[in-house]
Amino acid sequence: MTANALPSRNALFSRNALLSRNALRAALPAVTLLLLLGTIFWIQPRAMTPFGINLMLNLAVPIVLATMAQLFVMTVNDLDLSIGGFVGLSACIGATWLNQTPLLGVAALAACILAYAGLGALIHLRRLPSIVVTLGMSFVWLGLAVILLPTPGGAAPGWLKSLMAFKPPYLPFPILASIVIALLVHVGLMRTSYGAILRGFGGNPQAMRRSGWSSLRATMTMYALAGLFGVLSGLALLGISTSADANIALRYTLLSIAGAILGGCEFTGGRVSPVGAVLGALTLALAGSALTFLRISPDWQVGAQGAILIAVLALRAFVVRKED
Amino acid sequence: MMLKALATSAVALMIAAGPALADTADKRIALSNNYAGNTWRQTMLQSWEKVAKDAVAKGIVAEATAFTTAENQVTEQAAQIQNMILQGYDAIVVDAASPTALNGSVKAACDAGIVVVSFDGIVTEPCAYRVQVDFKELGRKQVEYLATRLPKGGNLLEIRGLAGSSIDEDIHAGILQGIEKHPQFKIVAAVNGDWTQTVAQRAVAGVLPSLPAIDAIVTQGGDGTGAAEAFRIAGRPTPIIILGNRQDELAWWKQQNAANGYETFSATIAPGIATLAFWVAQQVLDGKEFPKDIVAPYLTVSKADLDTVLAATQPGGVANVEYSQADAQKIQAAK
Amino acid sequence: MTSRTVITLSGVAKSFGAVKALTGVDLALQSGECLGLVGHNGAGKSTLMNVLAGTLAPDGGRLMIDGTLLDRSYSVFRAHALGVRCVFQELSLCGNLTVAENTRVFHPHLRGFGWKKRSAALIGAMLDDIFPGHGIAPGTPVSELSIAQRQMVEIARAFTVTDTPLRFVILDEPTSSLDASRAGQLLSFVRRQVAAGIGVILISHMLHEILETADRVVIMRDGRVVAVDAASAYDREGLVVAMGGLAHHQAQAREARAANGAEIRVRAERGSAFTARAGEIVGLGGLAAHGQTDLLLSVFRAAQRRTAGVSVSGTVAMVAGDRQRDGVFPLWSIKQNIGVRSLKAARRGLLIDPDRENRLAEEWRTRIGIRAPDLDLGILSLSGGNQQKALFARALGSDAQIILMDDPMRGVDVQTKREVYRLIRDEADRGRTFLWYTTEMEELYECDRVYVFRNGAISADLGQGQLTEERILQASF
Repeated sequence: MTANALPSRNALFSRNALLSRNALRAALPAVTLLLLLGTIFWIQPRAMTPFGINLMLNLAVPIVLATMAQLFVMTVNDLDLSIGGFVGLSACIGATWLNQTPLLGVAALAACILAYAGLGALIHLRRLPSIVVTLGMSFVWLGLAVILLPTPGGAAPGWLKSLMAFKPPYLPFPILASIVIALLVHVGLMRTSYGAILRGFGGNPQAMRRSGWSSLRATMTMYALAGLFGVLSGLALLGISTSADANIALRYTLLSIAGAILGGCEFTGGRVSPVGAVLGALTLALAGSALTFLRISPDWQVGAQGAILIAVLALRAFVVRKED
Repeated sequence: MMLKALATSAVALMIAAGPALADTADKRIALSNNYAGNTWRQTMLQSWEKVAKDAVAKGIVAEATAFTTAENQVTEQAAQIQNMILQGYDAIVVDAASPTALNGSVKAACDAGIVVVSFDGIVTEPCAYRVQVDFKELGRKQVEYLATRLPKGGNLLEIRGLAGSSIDEDIHAGILQGIEKHPQFKIVAAVNGDWTQTVAQRAVAGVLPSLPAIDAIVTQGGDGTGAAEAFRIAGRPTPIIILGNRQDELAWWKQQNAANGYETFSATIAPGIATLAFWVAQQVLDGKEFPKDIVAPYLTVSKADLDTVLAATQPGGVANVEYSQADAQKIQAAK
Repeated sequence: MTSRTVITLSGVAKSFGAVKALTGVDLALQSGECLGLVGHNGAGKSTLMNVLAGTLAPDGGRLMIDGTLLDRSYSVFRAHALGVRCVFQELSLCGNLTVAENTRVFHPHLRGFGWKKRSAALIGAMLDDIFPGHGIAPGTPVSELSIAQRQMVEIARAFTVTDTPLRFVILDEPTSSLDASRAGQLLSFVRRQVAAGIGVILISHMLHEILETADRVVIMRDGRVVAVDAASAYDREGLVVAMGGLAHHQAQAREARAANGAEIRVRAERGSAFTARAGEIVGLGGLAAHGQTDLLLSVFRAAQRRTAGVSVSGTVAMVAGDRQRDGVFPLWSIKQNIGVRSLKAARRGLLIDPDRENRLAEEWRTRIGIRAPDLDLGILSLSGGNQQKALFARALGSDAQIILMDDPMRGVDVQTKREVYRLIRDEADRGRTFLWYTTEMEELYECDRVYVFRNGAISADLGQGQLTEERILQASF
């Protein structure tokens, strides 16, 4: 009978098409970044040195970390609108307590991470929309940062400054750091067995509960991870700028969301890609440079960044739709 | 021009403003500005544009472009400065979003051999130059002026600026110093006017009913007419209100003067201070040595200048003065 | 292998608010036996299975496994440890995870280095065993599988074994998305498992599956077990009667409907010509996913804008098959769910007139028999069959002249089906056109004309008189 052969050949055929679609989708953030880098190097050859790459990308390290924090929250179908304020608070703690009384500083940062986990528990247990809770928390974080550091100042601990100024051989530090972060989160979230469980809660929370997994624990884990990466982002930012300001990272909220989306993550369904998100964050960090080098007026730069974002998303939608 | 620039540091030597040395003809200077949303900043950018264009036309420098960040965010300005480093500018003039948070980028620029000059919003990184007005002196001067008008002293109302800013703290400290010297004056109330007429009017109107007779108001600029309006509505006599060179304040002064011979004192930082920072950068590139902290003169408008200044100031603008290469050289010589 | 009683339920009760889903169920489940469980939607089958699987705690009664009384601490993990698994009616896979990762979700101990490879091997072998030639790679994200493939993965996953023994598997409507050949593969696998000593509970509306596969049949009605007997004691009619439904006299001669002269509303080309006239019920038959849904979607599109190869004259409305995904608005009330297709008619000025919306919903509640205390309740308060009725009400209550049905009767009880068939006939008599894709043979007999699809093309065009099961099967394979 031919009937048996036909469906399976069909299935095979469509699988190939799916593979290519997945490959395209995964390649999109990388292609965007390479195009952007090419443009920059073409206009400004000076940027094509380790020094140049260092300069263009060193502010990208905290953005990459904040994007990872956002990605953890997005994995469980939530959105964190407080990450910018939180990164600012972490930087302020780093510039004050961590510098003067390291023990108190470490304790405070640990408390911040715990607070994030608690936030996750609150959102989960009370079934509150994460957008509302985190929007409120963004003002709390900002307020705490202002109380801690009413006027800009403070100083980064020496070890932090030297860490961020570290110049490894062969590879510029920001690139090395991005690779390490991407690999770490990729292995942790995409390759480990508990990572699969965490992502599963984004895909079908009810099914996960039915299989006996605790969704409270998963949500708290994800928020704690987001808090951890938020703290790391704040410290990295502090290490670069050497002193802090409560408002230092307010942009990061939208940058982190945009970076994750640019990197192929989705708002719902637990579809995330750590490597893509790192590439997306780098792309956004570089977009400003490219536009400056192109001598586009800063008044238009924010708009131009938005246009890049829309163009990439449109391209992705096009790639996906073509398959249908 | 009959404008008089009061240099707080004594000017000792006059150097003839001869033709510029050509050493900086191939140098490029960039302005990194974090905000362009008020009249002071707009006037500042116009001054920069005017002086820079002239300097480029005369071949003093090769380029002097202004960049403004779109979102008034520290990280954005830090990235902007780093891009300027990559673009190979020889000097960067900065009006900074934060006195401290840009220090990393400023240090990177210094390390790359770039001259960094900050003004108005200054940075604390030691390798950068700071061009700033002595705001304490400005506060002291207000009380000293009042002492000449009211030798017997009297009750003062203080209108302060944006709480927490360094400028507000400095002017306030200067006023306190002045009162220490002239103890016949007494501050009976203080409100925050945020350098904005509407805010100042609301704040003054709020405390006015509980106040004794007010002889004078010490201010920080941008709040004078608001205070005057509050007094007018309350039907109380207009005290001596110190002004801050805003066009509306000067226009109010002129109208009062015509009506009843009103006299007062008006002074603030001129937006043209950006051009002084520009010339300092140019002179440093030329190999001149400057102290890291440069105190610029603030701009005073006297009764005699009133008509000229008003004619030259746009409605909604601030009285301005642009500095020349010679002014920078004077400061350098006075070191 | 000899059968012995493993699980005993006595007096198990469960209520959801005022609704009594289970009112004292007594049942003994044995190893090495396939137990068929039948009953209308809302009879309590799914609730009973949830209690067994540990996902719902009963309000009363006792549950004993191996003679041990299980208290309220009975949970999914406990059920797994005791070897009880359940394949739920709604698919419970995570779309963003791969097939292998979904298998890992099921097995807490599948972790450590190389877990992905082990998991892939586990599920791959099971799929090969149950559905030879399945064509599913363990590394594929589930969201990229067809609904039939997902169901295959879900079933195979339930039979995988790691560290805990497998003793009981509950299959709740396992064949609802599978075509006949896949369903056959599954049922023969079930027989093999039973022979190996595993207990299987099979819930299905496909009565012939129950009769062919089960050893014993349990019939539930209104939250209670009303009959338990050997499967051989029943035939189809007997089961339907016992469920409380009406005996079904299929394929009775109907007067040929004079549709030939009527206006042609849909014209398309799928290998050969496809036409549907006013007042005609056109069936789309064949194996699952052979282009029937595709045709429905292109007709739907063509009604809104010009589409090459399809011409449609008339307004259309769609009754979705996957009601969780494409059908209901889960947060809306029953009334709003019915009225959403008819907003234009319910409008007064710029606003929706609540009276008109109420009238529409009330009219269809009575006509189609939606069993709900209040139409303002959330749609999810209804049982699956009644949700589906609400979707029919939405389409039939609209002004659409052409109704597209994408296998909408999946998992719906016999009684509901019968009511809907009658309604469809009535509406067709009033001139409406129905395009009806169905995977159930008996539904094709309700049609005036049947197009059988194979690999995206029409392989047979059968009029009412020519319709036989044999012909349809021949055209399908």
